[in-house]
Amino acid sequence: MSRAVLWSVASVVALTAVSIVIGFAWLPSAHPDFTAKGLWDTICRAAGVPESWGSGATRPTVRSTSVVLDASMMSPGSADAAGRGASLALAQCTMCHGPQGMTQSNAPNLAGQYADVIAKQLVDYKQGDRASSIMQALATSASERDVRDIAAYYASLPKPRNTPVTDMDTVPPLVKTGDPMRNIAPCAACHGGIDRKMGAPWLEGMPRDYLVAQLTAFASGERRNDSHRQMRNVAQAMTPREIADVADFYARREH
Amino acid sequence: MFAARKLVLAHFWVAFAAFGAAILLGEWQMLVRSPLVGWVNNPEHYYRSVTFHGVVMAYVLPTLVAMAFGYAVCELSLKRPLVGLEWAWGGFWLVIAGVVTAAIPMATGHASVLYTFYPPMIADASFYIGIVLVVVGSWIWVALMAINLRAWRRDNPGAAIPLAMFGTLAGAYLWAWTSVGAAIEILVLIMPVALGFKDTIDAGLARVFFSWTLHAIVYFWLMPAYIAFYTIVPRAIGGRLYSDTMARVAFVLFLVFSMPIGIHHLFADPQIGSGFKFVHAAMTAMVSVPTLLTVFTITASVEIAARLRGGQGLFAWVKALPWKEPAMLAVALSFVMLGFGGAGGLINMSYQLNETVHNTQWVTGHFHLIFAGAIVIMYFLIAYDLWPQLTRCAALPAGLVRVQLWLWFIGMMVLTMPWHLVGLLGMPRRMAYYDYSNPALQSQAWTVTASVIGGLILVVSALLFIYILATAKRGAAEPAPYAFARSLHPNDPVPAGLNGFALWVGMMIALTVVNYGFPIAQLASVKETSVPAVHVGRP
Repeated sequence: MSRAVLWSVASVVALTAVSIVIGFAWLPSAHPDFTAKGLWDTICRAAGVPESWGSGATRPTVRSTSVVLDASMMSPGSADAAGRGASLALAQCTMCHGPQGMTQSNAPNLAGQYADVIAKQLVDYKQGDRASSIMQALATSASERDVRDIAAYYASLPKPRNTPVTDMDTVPPLVKTGDPMRNIAPCAACHGGIDRKMGAPWLEGMPRDYLVAQLTAFASGERRNDSHRQMRNVAQAMTPREIADVADFYARREH
Repeated sequence: MFAARKLVLAHFWVAFAAFGAAILLGEWQMLVRSPLVGWVNNPEHYYRSVTFHGVVMAYVLPTLVAMAFGYAVCELSLKRPLVGLEWAWGGFWLVIAGVVTAAIPMATGHASVLYTFYPPMIADASFYIGIVLVVVGSWIWVALMAINLRAWRRDNPGAAIPLAMFGTLAGAYLWAWTSVGAAIEILVLIMPVALGFKDTIDAGLARVFFSWTLHAIVYFWLMPAYIAFYTIVPRAIGGRLYSDTMARVAFVLFLVFSMPIGIHHLFADPQIGSGFKFVHAAMTAMVSVPTLLTVFTITASVEIAARLRGGQGLFAWVKALPWKEPAMLAVALSFVMLGFGGAGGLINMSYQLNETVHNTQWVTGHFHLIFAGAIVIMYFLIAYDLWPQLTRCAALPAGLVRVQLWLWFIGMMVLTMPWHLVGLLGMPRRMAYYDYSNPALQSQAWTVTASVIGGLILVVSALLFIYILATAKRGAAEPAPYAFARSLHPNDPVPAGLNGFALWVGMMIALTVVNYGFPIAQLASVKETSVPAVHVGRP
């Protein structure tokens, strides 16, 4: 090997060694978080080896939901399942939610609602993660299969639609663009229009009072079965006026 | 040229046509984000556009230009027909197939994940398949460059590799190794999810693999520009290359140091230890060395040209330079943008200073200035310089060429300087719209309007560039024999270490193992690090 080659290799090795010493030993020594447990621990921390964080600490006791959403819940279900679900619904749901999942009362319309949404809410009622004296009582007796069948039935019905929008300026800004400065994502990013995310319900045609009540409950923290506080974070940042505007928008029905 | 004329032209035309389309989208993005028009009603359209703009400008344009220039350099510098012409056409058609395959899901909104992929966002599988085809097509080019060099060496034992070919090979080997990171990311982590075999993905590990590609790819884009600095500019302005050895040192330094530094893109990522972030930052500082060497060598080469033309004094020789020569203008404008962009880059790569500009519009300003500015302006020059060889056209209209280069420079400065400013004020990048009615943002609105104007100037310049090339009269003149720049001391022997790549490729791989081995092994072995995939554009 020529001298130049040796020099090149030696200087790259030296550069690497010096930067490793600085990065893994010297710089971390400036911070007690790194140095608390000795040199080897310092090096491990600088290398990014995970600690068993929170060992010994108490886990938070308030849970939002026990449901883990996965892609299999989004399938609409078989015709058989929908048939069984229709029988169950006839016996237990139609009184408030209407004979075909549509009602003039302020209970939510369920016609065409996504299967994953119905299933998640029923399980949340059953587990006590969402409060309602009527729904909790009804859901207690529902088996896993009942939940799937009822979800399949309502998902099979036609969705209520809003009056079509001809002028985009009439759509409330929070629906189409949200408000980035307040960390409010657009409604349409999860609830349909722009995109649809698992667990997010179809909102068009919902009763206005129901929407206002739910957004207000999310804002106050009274309702808390949204995974990762998705809706509480949004609703807390909304003014009563904005809640009324988006509820008006989604409640506009085709006649 | 011998056999590769049509091949090189085909690469150039596809690259420049895609470039022409993508620059229009870039300007549209600026416009809808500006206070001049209302907010874009569907932000997905914005990200769809950003994805197309990024994929074309980062993958299609530079890859095809590097391939085209590589084939041309291979024939012009080795002075023999390209070996494996059919394979080269095969690689070309693979790239085309890849571009088309990826363009379909991009156009239909099923791949709006930006060119950097960003797992856990997952695009339609055909998008990734298209990207892989483009990369595989370019690997054929890498192999052909190596094969052609070996064939030439067999016939010229012991001879020094021509400098242009040496730089091309450095770029090719760099690309072959750096593209492995994204290839592993796509094939091992993303494809199983995109094809539906899995519904979670280790986003942190995927980002580490992408960073393996993300920074060194920049030096792959840059290689053609640097080869042009060293081997075209001094000849075009009637000077000599100040030092052939310095040029080779710069190329091998890029080879060694552009790989083990990508984690400086992940300073804000919690899955990487701070020690590795520091080591990567230190090595990133090293890649400024070959650029500073280049600026020195090229300035010295340019000074030789000025002195040969009668230039005098400590600085007065600058006036004697052939400023009407497009190569002179291009290299000067390129260096100005390289200076600003490079200084900004030093800020980005500093572990501490990065905190102030991370993910702001500053970063967008930085890479537009240095890539779209300093490098792409040299792509223009390469095309102008090779065009008479490729099409046997008469001399290109020098006045129009100068206007085009000036417009590109002015447009790029007007586009990127406001971005740097608002980046410092905290404006985030990758936003579909800003609420300018908010008092906190209102004062920044003018900067976005300024960038729209800069973008418009760039569009005019790009269209002018395509116009100049398209209207060149084919077959009007037999071109003079092509020559690369001669060095000041053409008879100096080339040091043995700088006439081959084994040592430098070895160092590149060794440093990659040292700097990436542990983070990758550790992230791959930690359990429960995957997150649910988000399929873009799927209900």
